[in-house]
Amino acid sequence: MHELREDPLPAAPPAQQPRGRCIVVTSGKGGVGKTTTTANVGVALAATGARVVLIDADVGLRNLDIVLGLEARVRHHVLDVLEGNAELDDALVSDKRVPSLKLLAASQTREKDDVDTNAFRGLVEKLRERFDYVLIDCPAGIEKGFQNAIVGADEAIIVCTPEVSAVRDADRVVGLLGERVKITLIVNRLRPALVRRGKMLSVDDVNAILRLPLLGVIADEPGVIISTNKGEPLALDANSPTGDAYRKIAGRIAGTDTSAPEIPREASFLDKLFGGQR
Amino acid sequence: MSARRIVVTSGKGGVGKTTTTANLGAALALRGKRVVLIDADIGLRNLDLVLGLEKRIVFDIVEVVEGRCQLRQALIKDKRFGESLSILPAAQTRDKTAVTENQFAKVIDDLAEMCDYAIIDCPAGIEHGFRNAVAGAREAIVVTTPEVSAIRDADRVIGKLNERGLPIRLVINRIRPDMVRSGDMLSVEDVCEILSAELLGIVPDDEDVIDTTNRGEPIALRAESRLAGIYEKIARRLEGEIVPFTALNAPNFLSRFLGRKAG
Amino acid sequence: MSTVRGRGRNVEIAVDRALPAAGEELRAHFTERPDFYRGSHAVANLGALEPGATEIAAFRDMLAEFGITLDGVSGADTLAETLANLQLAYLGPAPVAEVSALPRSRPPRQVELSPEARSLVADFAGARADLAQRRTAGGAPPTGPASGPAGVASAGVTIPATPAYAPAGVSTLYHRGTLRGGQALHNMGNIVVIGDLNPGAELIASGDIVVVGALRGTAHAGAQGDRTARVIALEFAPTQLRIATVIGADALVAVGPQQATIEGDRIAVAPLGAANTRKEISL
Repeated sequence: MHELREDPLPAAPPAQQPRGRCIVVTSGKGGVGKTTTTANVGVALAATGARVVLIDADVGLRNLDIVLGLEARVRHHVLDVLEGNAELDDALVSDKRVPSLKLLAASQTREKDDVDTNAFRGLVEKLRERFDYVLIDCPAGIEKGFQNAIVGADEAIIVCTPEVSAVRDADRVVGLLGERVKITLIVNRLRPALVRRGKMLSVDDVNAILRLPLLGVIADEPGVIISTNKGEPLALDANSPTGDAYRKIAGRIAGTDTSAPEIPREASFLDKLFGGQR
Repeated sequence: MSARRIVVTSGKGGVGKTTTTANLGAALALRGKRVVLIDADIGLRNLDLVLGLEKRIVFDIVEVVEGRCQLRQALIKDKRFGESLSILPAAQTRDKTAVTENQFAKVIDDLAEMCDYAIIDCPAGIEHGFRNAVAGAREAIVVTTPEVSAIRDADRVIGKLNERGLPIRLVINRIRPDMVRSGDMLSVEDVCEILSAELLGIVPDDEDVIDTTNRGEPIALRAESRLAGIYEKIARRLEGEIVPFTALNAPNFLSRFLGRKAG
Repeated sequence: MSTVRGRGRNVEIAVDRALPAAGEELRAHFTERPDFYRGSHAVANLGALEPGATEIAAFRDMLAEFGITLDGVSGADTLAETLANLQLAYLGPAPVAEVSALPRSRPPRQVELSPEARSLVADFAGARADLAQRRTAGGAPPTGPASGPAGVASAGVTIPATPAYAPAGVSTLYHRGTLRGGQALHNMGNIVVIGDLNPGAELIASGDIVVVGALRGTAHAGAQGDRTARVIALEFAPTQLRIATVIGADALVAVGPQQATIEGDRIAVAPLGAANTRKEISL
C-alpha cells in the first residue's frame, strides 16, 4: 500500500495590523467648532490609550496647534513632509499630557493649492498603518483645501451649529461627500434657553434637514473660548461637562459607548444665580 | 461718480462677515445711500438667507458672468429699504471656479456705476473665492473676534490685503466685556495692537443676532436694539464722520440675573 | 436624447442621433405642444453628424410644420456646401456641450417582469401614448380606471397586448435619495425624486416634478413653457416654485400630499386628496 504523503499546510499569512480609521471633521461653514472638536475628540480618544494622529489641513490658516497649546513645539509641517523636506517623525509633535497623541501641523505661510492631492492621500495611508485614528481638521468652505482633506477619509463628522446658514452649508458638504463616506453629526454651541424661547433652532430642526446619525450635542459655554485661547482642551478636564460630552463622543466613535446622545438641558435657576461659571 | 467698493473679509470663518455686510449695508441704506451687497461665496451662499431674500432669487452672479441674464435682472431689491438696498446673490449649485477674478472685477465695475456702495461679502479662507472677492475691491474691512485663532487668521489676511495695497479697517465682533474684564478675552486695545489696523467698529456679542439671521431680519432694522445704534455709528464712520466709540460696560450682576440686556 | 433649448424668441436644437430618427423624436416632442414654438427661429447643432441634403431638408420641413424656421446649422465643416445649397447658414463647428454635475444615482436595474407586472407596464406606456395623443387632439381625460389584465380594453383606453415604450421625447428621470443643497437634476421630461429636496437643491424639468418627500428647495416644472405641468410633493415648503414662467414662493407652504398647478397667473397649491386624486393624476 502506498503511503499518502500529506502536503504541509501552506503557512498562514502574517497577521496584519488592522488599518486605522480615517475620519475627517468638516462643516462647510467656518467658525462652528471643527478645530475645537478635532482637538477634543482626538485628546479623548488618545486618553483611552488609542494611538491618534491629528492633521491640520487648513494650510495658510493653521489653528489646530494653538487650540492644543502645542504651537511652540511645531518644527515642521505637512507640506515639509509631502515635499520631502522633513521626515514624518520629525514633523509629528508629541503632547506630554497625552502620550499616544501626535499632531501634524499645517504651514502658516503656504497655500492650500500647494498640496499635492495624491501625495496627501499617500501620507494618510501611511499614517493609517501606524495609528488607530487619523483625524483630519478640514478647512472651511468647499474649495481645494476641503477637497484635499476628504481624499483619504471614509468617515466624516459634520459639525453644525443651530443656525440656518450652518445647516445649509453642512447639507452642501454632505451632498459633496457622497454615499461612499460614513457620516455622523455633532451639533455644537446649543443654547437650550434660546431654543426654548424659540430664538434658536433645536437639534431636531437641524436634523430634519441633515438626517444624519447624531454623535453628540455640545452646549455653548464661555469655557470653550477660554480653553482654546489657552491651548488646554476641555477633554483633559475631568470636571468639565463639555469635556465630558467630548469623552462620550469619543466613546461612541470607538464603539465602547452605546448610549444615545443627550440634549443639554437649560441651566437651572442655581446655575444662573452663580453666573453660569463652571 | 463711481461707487466705493469695499470687501468684507476675515480669513477665519464664522466671525461675522456676512452679518457685518448685511447690517452695514442696511445701516448705509437707512441713511439714504444706494447700496448693493454682493455675495462672493459661490456654492455656499448665505447673504440672501441672512436678509430673508432667499425665496426671491431667480438669477445669480454666475448667470450674469455667463451671459444668461442682465446684471439688473439678477439684482434683488430688499423692499424694506425702498430703492436703497439690493443684493447680487451667489450661485448655490456651482463652485468658486465658475467665476474668474477678471470676471468678478468686471461685475463690480458694472455695479459701481449704479450705486454709492458696492460691498462684497467674502468667503472664509484665502483661496480662489477670496481672490475673486478682493479682485473687485478698492478698500477692505477685516472682521475679527477677540480670539487667538481669529486674530491669527485676520493677520494673515491683512498681509494679503497689504500686498494688494488695499486700505484696511477693522471691525471687532462679538466682544464680551465681562470676559475682557475677567481677563478671559483679549481687549480691544490688545487686538488693535496685534493687528495694527484702523478701528472701524466694536460690536458686542448679542444673543439676538442668531435669531435675526435665522429669520432674515437684519438687526440694524430693530431700532430698539443696541446693535442697530452701533451699526449706524459704523456707517457714519465709514462716511468719514468722527464718531466716538461707545464704552461697553459689562452687564451688571442683577440685570444678567433677571435676563435683561444692559445699556 | 436631442435637446431643445429656448432662448428668448429663438430655439437651439442639439441633435445626438441620425437625423431621420432625431426628427421623429423631435416631432413627437413638438406634437405635445404644437403651438408653443410657432413663429420662432431655430439653429441646430449636429455635432459630428454628416447628413445629406435630403435629410437636412426633411428635418427643416418637419420643423416648419410647427412654425419653426430653421436658420442655421453648426457641425462638421463638410456640411458647409450642402447647407449653402439649401440656403441655410453654416455656423461653424459644433459648440461643446455643457455637462451639469448630477448627483450619483443608482444605475438602472434589470428587472424580469412577470406576466401580471408586464400588463401594468403596458398599461402605463399605453396610457402615456394615449395622453400624448389627447393633448394634440384636445380631448378629455379618460374617466374610468385604466388598469386591467393585458389585452383587455377598459373604458376609453386601449391597452396594447405587448409592452410598449413611452413615446420618444418623453422621459422621466427617476432618482432615489434626498437631494442635498447644491445638487441639481435637470431633465427634458419629468422628474421623480424618492426623498427630500433640501433647501439649496434644484430640480428643473420640462414636464412634471414629483417629490416623494419634502420639497424645500427650488423646483421648476414646465421649464420650456408648458403651463399644464405640475409639481407634486408629500410636503411643500419650497424655497421657490416655478411652473413655466410663473414664479411663486410665499404662502405655498403646506403639509400633507399636495400638488401645485398654474391657475390664472399664479401658482396654486391644493391637497392631493382621495376625492380628486384620480382625476388630477390621470390627466
